[in-house]
Amino acid sequence: MSAPDVLVIGGGPAGMGAALEAANSGLTCVLVDESPELGGQIYRAPLPEAEQAMSPHPHGAYLRQKVRESSGIEVRTGCSAWGVFEGPEVPVSSEGSTIVYRPKALVIAPGAYEFVPPFPGWTLPGVMTPGAAQILVKTMGIEPGKRVILAGTGPFLPAVASQLVRAGVGVTAVLEASPRHHWWTLPWHGFRTPSILREGLGYLATLRRARVPILYRRGIVEVRGGERMTHVAHAPLDDHWAPNLSRREEIEADTLCVGYGFVPRVHLAQSAGCELEFRDEQGGWVPRRDAEFATSVEGVYSVGDGAGVAGAWSAESEGRIAGLAIARRLGALEPGDFDRQQRPWRTKLDRLTPIRRALDRICRIRSGLFESIQDDTLVCRCEELPWKTVRSAIDFGADQFRSLKVATRLGMGPCQGRFCWPATSRMIARQCQVGVEQVGPSSARPPLRPVSLGCLASMDEEAR
Amino acid sequence: MLVDTVVVGGGVIGCAVADALARAGRKVHLLDATLPGRATSASAGGLWAVGESIGLGCGVILHAQENPDAEQAGPMPLPRVFMDFLLAGNRQFPRLGPELKERTGIDVEVESGTGLLYLLYEDNHVQHARQLQDWLGQESDLMVTWSPEEVRDHDPCLTDELAGGVFFPGDNQVNPMLLAEAWKRSAILAGAEFHPCRVERIERAGKSFLLHSGSERWESPELVIAAGAWSGDLAQMVGASLPVFPVRGQIVCTETLSRTLRSNLSTPDCYVLQKSHGEVIVGSTTERSDFGTQVRPGDLRDLARGACRAVPGLASLAVKRTWAGLRPGTPDEFPVLGPDPDIENLYYATGGFRTGIVAAPITAELVACSILGTTPSFPQEPFLARRFRDAPGPEASQRDSSSSSRTESDSVA
Repeated sequence: MSAPDVLVIGGGPAGMGAALEAANSGLTCVLVDESPELGGQIYRAPLPEAEQAMSPHPHGAYLRQKVRESSGIEVRTGCSAWGVFEGPEVPVSSEGSTIVYRPKALVIAPGAYEFVPPFPGWTLPGVMTPGAAQILVKTMGIEPGKRVILAGTGPFLPAVASQLVRAGVGVTAVLEASPRHHWWTLPWHGFRTPSILREGLGYLATLRRARVPILYRRGIVEVRGGERMTHVAHAPLDDHWAPNLSRREEIEADTLCVGYGFVPRVHLAQSAGCELEFRDEQGGWVPRRDAEFATSVEGVYSVGDGAGVAGAWSAESEGRIAGLAIARRLGALEPGDFDRQQRPWRTKLDRLTPIRRALDRICRIRSGLFESIQDDTLVCRCEELPWKTVRSAIDFGADQFRSLKVATRLGMGPCQGRFCWPATSRMIARQCQVGVEQVGPSSARPPLRPVSLGCLASMDEEAR
Repeated sequence: MLVDTVVVGGGVIGCAVADALARAGRKVHLLDATLPGRATSASAGGLWAVGESIGLGCGVILHAQENPDAEQAGPMPLPRVFMDFLLAGNRQFPRLGPELKERTGIDVEVESGTGLLYLLYEDNHVQHARQLQDWLGQESDLMVTWSPEEVRDHDPCLTDELAGGVFFPGDNQVNPMLLAEAWKRSAILAGAEFHPCRVERIERAGKSFLLHSGSERWESPELVIAAGAWSGDLAQMVGASLPVFPVRGQIVCTETLSRTLRSNLSTPDCYVLQKSHGEVIVGSTTERSDFGTQVRPGDLRDLARGACRAVPGLASLAVKRTWAGLRPGTPDEFPVLGPDPDIENLYYATGGFRTGIVAAPITAELVACSILGTTPSFPQEPFLARRFRDAPGPEASQRDSSSSSRTESDSVA
């Protein structure tokens, strides 16, 4: 058992921010991340082989260096925290061995994952998330395909599309579900962090130069193919994102990157026993937090996209503020110093809020998204469950994760429902005509990351 | 809403009772809160009629712990009538499986021929097995004693550090969750109504029971409490006293793999069994507890150790999930079935503790018969709630005893 002052789970901007502030105040800090390098999804470091093709994000590289230089931070990459038990007690496993941490404060910053709704053909090889395509190109220097289509909603699509274009990948089109004029409602005057605006406009310019069309109000209705996908069928969407099938069109493509925004990775917080609340605009279920990002469980903080999707700049600010709050709480920082040091980060957060709100409004998931689902469309990939099996369990009275799970094995696979539940819960809400929040979250059961039985058996003796 | 019978609790027992009543023509309403920790979802689905009743289903039974007998090298069997009761339940599964499949389309995965193999690691375990064989009757074919070689011949993937084994050829398995679901659907198809809701309050209105959940209300002349570990709380709402308490069990479940284990395994540390979809389930702790469903790293580790000790090859399997369920315990480890001694038309179908699944068919029959006024195929007497009133013992205070954490192994060796 190891007892640092602070354990930070997740080495993205939020986790690095928290660790830096805590360590600057003199606290001992352990920062664990699953990847070989710090950075998270947004500042993911390229592998050495791919480094020449893709330069790392400069701010990410800066944070990484600061963390490495800090003597108070022990960085453990390639490690998985797979549960938060009473205490908090956190087992962290790496290559078959497990250390149980018992920190004075815990920061959960695991980031978010992409929201992918099921549609006919979505399990064919060639269908992936924009994030996966980004990892292929940025980290490994691998082309995801020759003719790539990106579909979904949100600013991440043009970002990835332009990265693919710059890496020489053939991008055919970008399909954005919301109407073009909605994007003009963004509070452009509110972009007081001009780098974000510059970055966004840069992506659009790249796509324009490469003659990649962005088709607004368009959504995927089917993907066809044999061993690999060959065609993408899309159709115009109405205000609820329901497709007009009479105007269905097909495009040839070998790769489809589909992502309708992000879902916070709340499962560690959930396993810690943190209360959740439903925030549709932040990606669904998020931990309830106070102004300094403390959850309902004593000593447990949750920051960044894993606590409500808001992007890298907000994530870092949240992490910094939580790190400072922990330092004050553990007596390493005077209240006056806390106020002074957190102010710039708070200001940054406040500036980002109007843009974030507008984006959330534009990209909010609409119920028509699920209209192309057929009876035999798989909704749970792990257990290969078609929609009709789930629907029949609903007809027999199952109406939440627990009851559907026992009736159908939905969410009983290795992902525990992380990937299917965000979409399935919305489909159930639609079927039962209730709010998504009434359908409830999925449950989180350790181990939240793969751990072998032997590794569990060899866990250190002091674990309670 | 005015109905014939309300059954509270939609686990395996509540669904079985609702089905029996609905198919007998009663207008049944089944109310279920699907609370975290329901024992049906935490059960491994072992149909271990003999193993459990003689205390080797998975190491230990509370009864044995609380009545230590110096003469015994291990836990004492429960009274014989308990085993006969479980055997009566177990006998129904070969018929029940196909029937439920036909009525609902759900295969509840009744498995035959696997049996339960209890591993004996040390000489005193062998001695204990001999005492149990004597208790059963030497010639009994319910239990067979094996040498270490016979155990390994039966299943070569087991550890070779064995002192022997005990095989229970009739103790097989079922899928408890699908069993509950199939019974539920069968009941619904027979006219029962299912309501996902939590009963908050029960009032008496003359001879009727008035159940409240949010703005919904049910009025029924008959009430069946089949709410597992929560049954005591529900009985209290009606003014009855029922000594049913939660006994937590933590479970580890692995990824799926092709059929590897030839039998269900039980050891002094844990049980290990492979379900028909390939997952291996390792259970479980037995803790007098509150209603919390948390798991603890140290307990999970001990279960994992127990499994790796029995089947070393399991060490490389990925653990898929762990969780805890709350068994409905009673002071004497017998279920509580049939009418309340004082309150007319209040019935119990609860207290299944470790053996609710195997006992479910006979439980449903006993409870349905006492409601319908027909004669069951097994005497109800030993399981009546009356016994707690007739023989008030120290158990009344056990409900308040502090929760203890301990795994099976603590009390066996």
